[in-house]
Amino acid sequence: MHFLTISNDTLFVYYVLSNVIYLGLLVVAIFKNTRHRHRLGSLRLELIKASPFTPPITLIVPAHNEERSIVSSVGALLGLDYPSLEVIVVNDGSSDMTLEKLRESYHLQIARILYIADIATAPLHAIYRSSIEPRLFVLDKEAAGSKADAINAGINAATSPYVCVVDADSILEKESLVRIMAGVFSDPGRVVAVGGIVRVLNGSRVVGNQIEQVRLPKRPIEVMQVIEYLRAFLIGREGWAGFNMLPIISGAFGVFQRDLVKQVGGFRTHAVGEDLDLVIRMHRRLREENRPYHINFIPDPTCWTEVPTDWKSLARQRARWHKGLIDTLWPNRDMLFRARFGRVGWLVLPYMWIFEFFAPIIELVGYTTIILALIQGMLSASFFLQFLLFGYAFATLISIGSVLLEEMTFRRYGDWREVARLLIYCLFEHFPYRQLTMVWRLQGIWQYLRGDLQWGEMKRVGISAHPPA
Amino acid sequence: MEFVSSSIPQVGPAGLLLRAILGSLLGICFLVGFIVLRRWYRARYFRRRNERTVALRSWWDNIVSGKISALDWRFDPLDCDIVESILLDNIEMSTPEKLPPLLDCFRISGLLDMRIYEARNSHGWKQRTALLALGRTRAAEAVPALAEGLDSRLRETRIAAVRGLGRTAIPEAAIPILDRIVAGHLDAPERSLKNALVNCCRSSPGMLVNYVAETQGPVRELLARVLGELASPELGEELLALAADPLPEVRASAARALGNSTTSYTLPALHTLATDPEWFVRLRAVVALGQVENLGKIRILLHAVCDVNRHVRQRAAWALARMEPQLEQILEDVVATKDEYALQAFISELERSGAIEKIIGALDGSGTCSQTALMEVVAGARKSVELTGKAAAAAAGAH
Repeated sequence: MHFLTISNDTLFVYYVLSNVIYLGLLVVAIFKNTRHRHRLGSLRLELIKASPFTPPITLIVPAHNEERSIVSSVGALLGLDYPSLEVIVVNDGSSDMTLEKLRESYHLQIARILYIADIATAPLHAIYRSSIEPRLFVLDKEAAGSKADAINAGINAATSPYVCVVDADSILEKESLVRIMAGVFSDPGRVVAVGGIVRVLNGSRVVGNQIEQVRLPKRPIEVMQVIEYLRAFLIGREGWAGFNMLPIISGAFGVFQRDLVKQVGGFRTHAVGEDLDLVIRMHRRLREENRPYHINFIPDPTCWTEVPTDWKSLARQRARWHKGLIDTLWPNRDMLFRARFGRVGWLVLPYMWIFEFFAPIIELVGYTTIILALIQGMLSASFFLQFLLFGYAFATLISIGSVLLEEMTFRRYGDWREVARLLIYCLFEHFPYRQLTMVWRLQGIWQYLRGDLQWGEMKRVGISAHPPA
Repeated sequence: MEFVSSSIPQVGPAGLLLRAILGSLLGICFLVGFIVLRRWYRARYFRRRNERTVALRSWWDNIVSGKISALDWRFDPLDCDIVESILLDNIEMSTPEKLPPLLDCFRISGLLDMRIYEARNSHGWKQRTALLALGRTRAAEAVPALAEGLDSRLRETRIAAVRGLGRTAIPEAAIPILDRIVAGHLDAPERSLKNALVNCCRSSPGMLVNYVAETQGPVRELLARVLGELASPELGEELLALAADPLPEVRASAARALGNSTTSYTLPALHTLATDPEWFVRLRAVVALGQVENLGKIRILLHAVCDVNRHVRQRAAWALARMEPQLEQILEDVVATKDEYALQAFISELERSGAIEKIIGALDGSGTCSQTALMEVVAGARKSVELTGKAAAAAAGAH
């Protein structure tokens, strides 16, 4: 057969398969979500808060040059509804006034606490404890150029059996910790890590580091990301977690068993996608040891985060995510198709290689060969149009499925107009946004091959800048 | 795409791709339609529910007293649901005096029997919802039906039964759980079991003592942990037996209970527990000593402030630093132990409580040689506390 024919057939099968898999995940997610909501009905959060057996949890907040928001962020974290909480802020070599602001606001004093560096990190300058808020510790450390290193220092200092990593510029809902820990209580012996949902903060009204009104952002680039986040979390993560194959827990909000994180060596300091890398290494370790475990995703504990508002930052972020993907998949390539790694090695990792890593390459080759086939007359124009229409309709169906899940579960966007806007954007997401994403991911591959593993700056509007509705 | 295109005619005139397009478009229409309809239906349902809630609330006293017959609301599913949820909320929040009329309303209207029937004969979510509702009634007659749920072959149902029994918060509800735990017949998450037992046994922790005595291994530890939360002075001399138990969890629970006790054996028992081989038993004993109003505890705390475990040391220092009139004497005694860690712990607790300046002022004013020497020791210890903090941080960084 002609190369172009093979290529076009491969593209067709690839495209259908990737969407069918997502459709399958959507069905699983709807089922799992419904079950979770029934479970929540029987679980009174007040009882968890009041129970003497609720385990303590340590929030780790890596902070690098966060002087604008650190005090209010820490205040909001200390105000979370959880009975036994410890907050460790890791000042990761900030060159601004982050530490001074904390010292001033929380009356920090040098603390004499036991710190055993189970995970090697850059040197610490000092450990502080607040004299007005005994639950707050601040580690002042030298910058190692990676967030992972700061988190590792926090894990070393944590005293609770569970640690939760939170970005300093994100907002956790008041009950999010109790809700995420409900995922642990369901089976504390087996559940080693739980991820919560990360939602787009842009456009919402924020007062005192708490979301007061959830609104869709105005700019199309941000709304597209809302749909992407809904699809990735409510379908992708929910679906994979249903089969205990969750490959990633977002670095912005996740709870981990502290001892297990230490056992796997903590977050990899120079990993580009340290969150993905950690979860894959956890799967590896637990499967190697043949331990029963579950890495879960719970859709209702919510962390709100700011997403890029300009194309340049978005392009950088997507390229970085793709670099992070390669940076994790490549060192763990030995897990592929190995019996001891079970479904992780046979299903989720191959999926990530084929439908995540290779996706931009296959798409690029596909677009090229289809155009060539059209020019050479090997492909009828009507069939080409039908195929385009099918691809568009199928992908839109999946996107609308994520809006449906949002509607069936949490209905954060209460206004009719907001839902209508979401649905309309689902129709426009696949052109040209999808193609742009492909280009950014290709850039990520190119940068990785060149050895450029920099994070790059993301332009942020800042939480306080989100206007009242 | 030849093989794909060539396969189209085989599947009929519309073609595979056309069918797929049509299917996808239908799917989109279905999902959008579902979202719109669902929104519309929910808005209508909540509006109606709101209206009925207002109406039923306005008749509430008559509904509870039975002046409005249950027949008037019981067979309208929405009304029945609203009344039941209000009743259950009220029952959960009510004081023992206000409980009987609410429970009577629940019984007379047949809601309780309906829930018992559902708990026994339904399956899946309906059964679990019934089990939880039964638990919220706090009615003793719900216990047998809830206990049957413990024997379900489904784990979710067993958990719902455990939670239901826990919510009744009556001692009778603990018995089916305890019997099954002891017999090893109950597979449910440990945390759910402990929470349920704590709720049920709160008013009579003594019932746990026999079960603790009968069991071994992990079950005994689980029950001891619950007892540790609940043990109270009312356990009387049984506390002494628990204080001598071979299981550290049990001894720790006894220490905790002794903190609230004022009997003649409190101090000797806590003294023994403060020298226990297990650090967390010693810690519990030292915490309990902090609560005891008896000057005799100073001697025991002075011993504990020299403990090998830093948590015990710090907690003993915390307790000592709050014995205001005796602080100078205690400081002398701590210095006399010649234990630098003890002195550092005590000084840091004095600094935290703000008492250090008063002591320094008092020592400064006296001017005797021994007081001056004591001042020097305090100043040295304060310096050392600060340096140790910095050294700890530096050592951490060196790794």
